[in-house]
Amino acid sequence: MNMMLLAIVLPIAAAIVVALVAFRKSALAGYFAVIASIANLYLAYQIYMTEASTSPVVPLEWAGWVFEFALRNYQFSSFILIATAMFGFLLSLYNTAFLKDKCNGWLFHVYFLLTLGFVNGAVLADNLLLLLFFWEGLLALMFGMIYLGGTQNSFRTATKTMIIGGVADLCMMFGIGLTVYLAETASMSEIKVAMEGLGSLAFVLLVIGAVAKAGSMPFHTWIPDAASDAPLPFMSFFPGALEKLLGIYLLTRISLDFFELNAASWGSTMLMIIGACTIVLAVAMALIQKDYKKLLSYHAISQVGYMVLGIGTCTPVGIVGGLFHMINNTLYKCCLFLTGGAIERQAGTTNLKKIGGLGYKMPITFLTFIIAAASISGFPFLTNGFFSKEMVYDGALQRGYIFWFAAVIGSVMTAASFLKLGHAAYLDKRGDVSNVKEAPMLMLLPGVVLAALCLVFGIGNFFTGFLPIGEFFQPVLGAERLGGHDFTVFHANWFLIGGSIVALLLAIINHFAGYKKTGSGIGAVDHVHYAPVLHQMYDAAEKRYFDPYEWARCVGRAVAYIGWGIDRGIDFFYNRIVTFAANGISAAIRAMHNGSHVTYLAWSIAGILLVIIACMTGRL
Amino acid sequence: MITFFIALPLLVVLILNLLPRKQADALSFWCGMALTVVSGIYVLMAPRPMTSDFDPVNLVLNWKIVTSDLTAVMLISIALVVFSAFWVGRYLLEDENRQFIFNNLLLLCMVGMNGVVFSQDLFTLYVFLEIVGASSFILIALERTKAGLEGAFKYILLSFVATVLILSSVAMLFMVCGSLDYEAVRICLTSGTLDENTSRFVLFAVGLFAAGLLIKGGMVPFHGWLPDAYSSAPTPVSVLLGGIVTKAAGIFTLIQLVRNVFVFEGVSPVLLVIGTVSIAVGAFAAMGQSNFKRLLAYSSISQIGYIIVGLGSGHIIGIVGAILHLFNHSVFKTLLFVNAAAVEKQSGTVEMDKLGGLSNKMPVTGFASVLGFLSAAGIPPLSGFWSKVLIVVGLWKAGAPMAAIIAILLSLITLAYFLSVQRKVFFGKLASGLEGVKEADFRVLVPTILLVLITLVIGLTFPWLFDTFLVPLESFL
Repeated sequence: MNMMLLAIVLPIAAAIVVALVAFRKSALAGYFAVIASIANLYLAYQIYMTEASTSPVVPLEWAGWVFEFALRNYQFSSFILIATAMFGFLLSLYNTAFLKDKCNGWLFHVYFLLTLGFVNGAVLADNLLLLLFFWEGLLALMFGMIYLGGTQNSFRTATKTMIIGGVADLCMMFGIGLTVYLAETASMSEIKVAMEGLGSLAFVLLVIGAVAKAGSMPFHTWIPDAASDAPLPFMSFFPGALEKLLGIYLLTRISLDFFELNAASWGSTMLMIIGACTIVLAVAMALIQKDYKKLLSYHAISQVGYMVLGIGTCTPVGIVGGLFHMINNTLYKCCLFLTGGAIERQAGTTNLKKIGGLGYKMPITFLTFIIAAASISGFPFLTNGFFSKEMVYDGALQRGYIFWFAAVIGSVMTAASFLKLGHAAYLDKRGDVSNVKEAPMLMLLPGVVLAALCLVFGIGNFFTGFLPIGEFFQPVLGAERLGGHDFTVFHANWFLIGGSIVALLLAIINHFAGYKKTGSGIGAVDHVHYAPVLHQMYDAAEKRYFDPYEWARCVGRAVAYIGWGIDRGIDFFYNRIVTFAANGISAAIRAMHNGSHVTYLAWSIAGILLVIIACMTGRL
Repeated sequence: MITFFIALPLLVVLILNLLPRKQADALSFWCGMALTVVSGIYVLMAPRPMTSDFDPVNLVLNWKIVTSDLTAVMLISIALVVFSAFWVGRYLLEDENRQFIFNNLLLLCMVGMNGVVFSQDLFTLYVFLEIVGASSFILIALERTKAGLEGAFKYILLSFVATVLILSSVAMLFMVCGSLDYEAVRICLTSGTLDENTSRFVLFAVGLFAAGLLIKGGMVPFHGWLPDAYSSAPTPVSVLLGGIVTKAAGIFTLIQLVRNVFVFEGVSPVLLVIGTVSIAVGAFAAMGQSNFKRLLAYSSISQIGYIIVGLGSGHIIGIVGAILHLFNHSVFKTLLFVNAAAVEKQSGTVEMDKLGGLSNKMPVTGFASVLGFLSAAGIPPLSGFWSKVLIVVGLWKAGAPMAAIIAILLSLITLAYFLSVQRKVFFGKLASGLEGVKEADFRVLVPTILLVLITLVIGLTFPWLFDTFLVPLESFL
């Protein structure tokens, strides 16, 4: 069987086996999932090692015309493939420990394995319609996974996710339709569409599908809700890793391959604006969160902004930086969510008001947190986040100070919020944590591996040359678009580095000022939170006044109300007017049947005359 | 053929009445059973076209007949309905003497209907129509109740009018053609040798004949007798009347004569109008009825309206639909009357206001009546749906879209009144006083189940049936 097809079929088959064999046995299901994800990793590695192909293969002759089951081992695809397989493996270990005692854990493992198969399908697909199939499948799986959170609001949040994702995917579906119509092919390796007329519409629709999957604004509002209502492994797997990989993968394919976006086009500006807004607004929300997971979820949104901004700049350094940031972000964000899961499991809550001083009880977790937090804050020269952010800054600066400034402001707030988070959760003296122990081995291992990778991709790369950049991201652009640049060597731009260092210092100063004022780490940014104008804005945001989903629900309610009115009217027509008329006619006819044979005889004679006349004249 | 379908039942009636009463009582039912079952199977098995060349009767009468698929449909319907009526009579009529009379008259009625189907000349047709009529009058008044006698009287009155019309028409046609043989009349009327005055005379005769048959068929506005007769007759008789008598005497004959003997297209618009009006009046009148049997009677008017409309469309699909609907109507209307019989016997009433919630007590009957109603209302995939579809398609193709639309809309009314029956009689809360009701016994469940199966099987195998049976009907038409 074709290797790529196997990579899709194997996890799905494993999911079915788990569902049958490990029914209601979470621990057993976990072991199966680990084995299956190892196999998946092996397959991904095999695909990754084979030469990237330029043309698709069609392992299954299923359908004709535009829909065909075409797969292609594109170099970028194989990178995403092995990255997701690695995350899949690490998380399967983590899940096994995390879900051991949860009654629906086995089902989560089933969904998890299905997800692996669908992701492989989405990444390897070379046909837009096939891609859409897997894309939608993932949405359905997300619904199932969030629902397994088992809290009071899980179903609501799952529905919200489904609706937001569904609307975005609907846009994408129309976009695909338009693209296929314009390009006259659905084969992703052949599509070339000009950005004009319908082409621009197709571009916008496809971009909506991609950035919504990545979790960018304004399609982000389900993520903070999911943080409190979904099982934690979901958060680290989907918003933490998969969504970024898939969304940015598609965004790259759209802007580089299908439409060949250039810096002069409005599409580029649009993407940069989306990116900048996402960075600043989401991180501003993250700053004030008092819940470990929720804070992380806002960062998951904010970080997407850097990637979208980087790709939107349409400069080689920006694109490569955006892609590099994508993989870096998945490493540290996934790791951060895992620390959140460890705390949730060991301390029973992730509410920062109830926990504190965990650093003494859970030293390894704390260590991985420090590395990951330093990475996301962009700690200079050591961490991977620093290098990729520098490249994005570089690209943004080339397009305009305002974009660079937004990115730097985002960094200030990112650093400030992580200082607050680390201080509050691990160092503050608050809450009863005397019984808390370090998390089990299986849950620590993935975090440690990811934290180590953060350093490898950071300082390690500094010495060895940026491996993923040279191997994957630069080929995505192609030599022509790179224009002779080579980003495998770090080009120090002291203006940018200075800016980043100043940003970090600002964050630290802010933190200590706040700490001094309130006396605890958790209140370190309260002076921002309760600042005169910001206070009202934050309150409004917390009440979801800025949530497009809520707006849509208001509109939906209004439409429903009008529809109800129309429905009442129609009902009235049928229930009253039609019934009345029918009953009236019925009563009249019954009244005519008075039972007298004279009447009946008279009718008959009249009828006879009519029939005879009609027969004889041929008319009626 | 003739021997078997006409002479043998007649002989059986004679012998039964000569036997000592005690043996005859029990024997009459089983003789009827044997005759209906064997004739049903015979018709199904016999190669078509069936001929009567080696029939003993032909030694004397020289009655050569050629039967077609249409004849077969009628013969099966007759056998089926009479079969059901026998069972229901055995179930419902408690007095043995009365049951014996009922069985005898039923056999006579069957002889009459078979004769109508086999008739090859107009006068023979008239004779058999009278046999059917006479036995029906007595059957309606079987219980000698006031209502029964009144119903029978109305039927006699209007049938008398019909007789006058038909007999006059037969006389006129004999004047013109000099023969009453179908073939001879057809040749005489279609040869084009008639002068203008004679043609008008013939049209007058045809009009009289058609009006007579419409009275027999109970179409609006000739339907005055029908609801009273159906609802006042004992229920086994209602089964017979509602199931087949009006169709054999009125509708089948109309199809036969209009299509094969008079070959007169001018009657089509009349049929369309009468059919549409019948559909409407029957449906609307049925809506407000409180008596189960009376409701079924009005519904019969409405359903036969569909048959007439299909015939009136003049399009081959419409006519095939009409024939199929004729059969379907026999099946589901018999089924519903059988259910009414079960309800009447088990609960003691057919007034719907006193009934309710019987489905729990009588699951088989309740289920059967749902199927019967849905088939009558034309819900797929039951048999009634297919015939109505064919009729509507036929109307559309024949260029009568208004009639098609009315036919579709009024089938909604059909659904409405049947659902209300279903709700009042079988669903909902059990009415007070019905706590002790039990499911009817096998005597009524035998025909029930048989008819349910036919409804389902015809509905589900329709595509096959269409190719193998209905399309060949075209050759006859």
